[in-house]
Amino acid sequence: MTLVVITLMVYGLARSMPGNPLTVQLGESDPSRKLNPEDQQRMLEIYGLDKPWPVGYVQWISKVIQGDLGRSITRKQPVTQLIGERIGPTVLISGTALFLTWFLAIPLGLYASARGGRIDERFTGLVLYALYSFPTFVAALFLQIIFAVWLRDTHWELPLFGMSDLSSDAPFFARCRDIAWHAILPITCQTYVVLAYNSRFIKANLEEVVRQDFIRTARAKGAGPWRVLVHHAFRNTLIPLVTLLGLSLPALVGGSVIIEQIFTWPGMGRLFFESIRERDYPTIMGLTLMFSVLTLAGQLLADLLYSIVDPRVNVE
Amino acid sequence: MNQEKMRVSEEIEAAKPSRGFWSDAWQRYRRRPIGMLALGFVLFLTIVAIFAPAIAGTKPVVCSYKGTLYFPCLGYFNRSWESPIFTKDKFRGTYPKNLKQKDPESWAVWPLVFQDPYRRVRENEWPGRRENPSRDEGHPNRLNLFGTDQYGVDIFAKMVHGTTIALLVGFVSMGLAGSIGVLVGALGGYFGGWVDMITSRLTEIVMCIPTLVLILALIAVVEKPTIWKTMAIIGATGWTGIARLTRAEFLRLRQTEFVMAARATGAGSLRIMFRHILPNALAPVLVPITFGIASAILVEGSLSFLGFGPPPPTASWGSVLNSARSNLQLWWLVVFPGAGIFLTVLAYNLVGEGLQEATDPRLREAKK
Repeated sequence: MTLVVITLMVYGLARSMPGNPLTVQLGESDPSRKLNPEDQQRMLEIYGLDKPWPVGYVQWISKVIQGDLGRSITRKQPVTQLIGERIGPTVLISGTALFLTWFLAIPLGLYASARGGRIDERFTGLVLYALYSFPTFVAALFLQIIFAVWLRDTHWELPLFGMSDLSSDAPFFARCRDIAWHAILPITCQTYVVLAYNSRFIKANLEEVVRQDFIRTARAKGAGPWRVLVHHAFRNTLIPLVTLLGLSLPALVGGSVIIEQIFTWPGMGRLFFESIRERDYPTIMGLTLMFSVLTLAGQLLADLLYSIVDPRVNVE
Repeated sequence: MNQEKMRVSEEIEAAKPSRGFWSDAWQRYRRRPIGMLALGFVLFLTIVAIFAPAIAGTKPVVCSYKGTLYFPCLGYFNRSWESPIFTKDKFRGTYPKNLKQKDPESWAVWPLVFQDPYRRVRENEWPGRRENPSRDEGHPNRLNLFGTDQYGVDIFAKMVHGTTIALLVGFVSMGLAGSIGVLVGALGGYFGGWVDMITSRLTEIVMCIPTLVLILALIAVVEKPTIWKTMAIIGATGWTGIARLTRAEFLRLRQTEFVMAARATGAGSLRIMFRHILPNALAPVLVPITFGIASAILVEGSLSFLGFGPPPPTASWGSVLNSARSNLQLWWLVVFPGAGIFLTVLAYNLVGEGLQEATDPRLREAKK
């Protein structure tokens, strides 16, 4: 139900954008190549764009139910294939970033609450807070300036954008290395904000748990500070963490429009950005559907994980 | 003796009217030096934003021309506030020479920095001053404090005028988001039942679509984005968190005795909602609004950065960053606006956090 309303809304929005795929695409490339009105009308009919948008929506959704997302108008490819092509690069970036954030955030959060109030903790806390407020696009530009302009022709030079400089027939390992080289900056950008947020989140949750009675009991019976923190306190903060993890699922596959745009990384975020520009309705709709399904799936996943981390929760 | 003193002071304490919620919160807020620093920075930004045309500009703040006083600098806020006499007398935007030529008796008070956020300052426009450097020669220097962009437009002037835009974006879009959020949340939380069903679903749906995606789609729909339309769009998409919080507060408060008392005296639903419940629900709602201002500034920055922002003559921080994208060796195009956005967002986040700590009773007890 929610899905239907969301897709209906986005379809209506997309179709009310000025212009259509044909006019936007051709008008940009060459004004003299503009279609004459009859041709345009004929092509609109082929794509089913001559009818009002509610009709178009019904056509689209009835196809979706049959498992067909349609063909991209501007790229002349099935949308599913297009998504399949773009999903790899996005997951490469956001998957690595997601792994890194959790891998780093949990120790950081534990460290912060273990040393709560001391000088070193305050300092890292402040740095993390500053990082959290640091806009990604500014950070991306800074990193580009440092690694691609100032450190040009040194060992530290990193590629400015794109995913690979090598052609597809280069040896496999060289290609992997090249892609990894290109991915460093985008991954850094995507990691640090989430890292800052997550570690603060973990710390806040831990602080709340640490005040409870069972922690005092654990201390009283002689458990060491680390054991109390990891074994008794941290385990009880898992529920909000799992919620957060569930919420990050759409971003894992959806990617980040801004980061992919800055580093011209051929991923999903960029695909969405381009399809809005080109008024490529089937692609816009396919991506929207995917985002919404993933958001709902993330919530469901979180609910399922609750019962694992907290035996009191029953999945019904 | 000592006990006597204590009792007296206790009596005095009791006789004083107890501090209200907000002054209590303020006392608590004042204790955090970082929060106060952030608040000070926000105030500083507000002052810069209000007096932007008097800080950097090429139009006099006050001038006497042919015997009348004018305030041409107001033209930076709104074209029509600049007196039409200057267009009639063919000033063409350059004041210093024209004022002297056309009326030798005239005098003027100039902005602190004679630079324009929208165009390059030409040679001798200010008597004896060189032209603004362009392309990669515009390093920060004495005349261009933050350097110039590739077309020779002064970055300091752009930054100062961009402050106005950034703060406006924050306040207008969050004002809108706050109103929608509070209204939707209040309706759902107070009435419950099917009203709550509808409003909750609505909130859920808007939450489900990634914000940036929704904003990009909306911006593509409004053909010519102006800064006001951008603000409206950011506001229209950023209300969900506020709505959820307001709903929760209203759900909690509508069960309380004072609401029942109000209902018993015959107050209508609207009156109860906005006169009785809302003031009590305001503190928890204010916190996400403060954070929202930070994120609205961030969103506007990223939109302008992606080239989806208001059209070029608007001097927003994000658009300076956008021009830096194709000129990476001009580091000053990144550092200054980047620092501007960063510090502003940080300040609002810190104010929000301070507010949260000062008003949230759970956190308050924790500190004891």
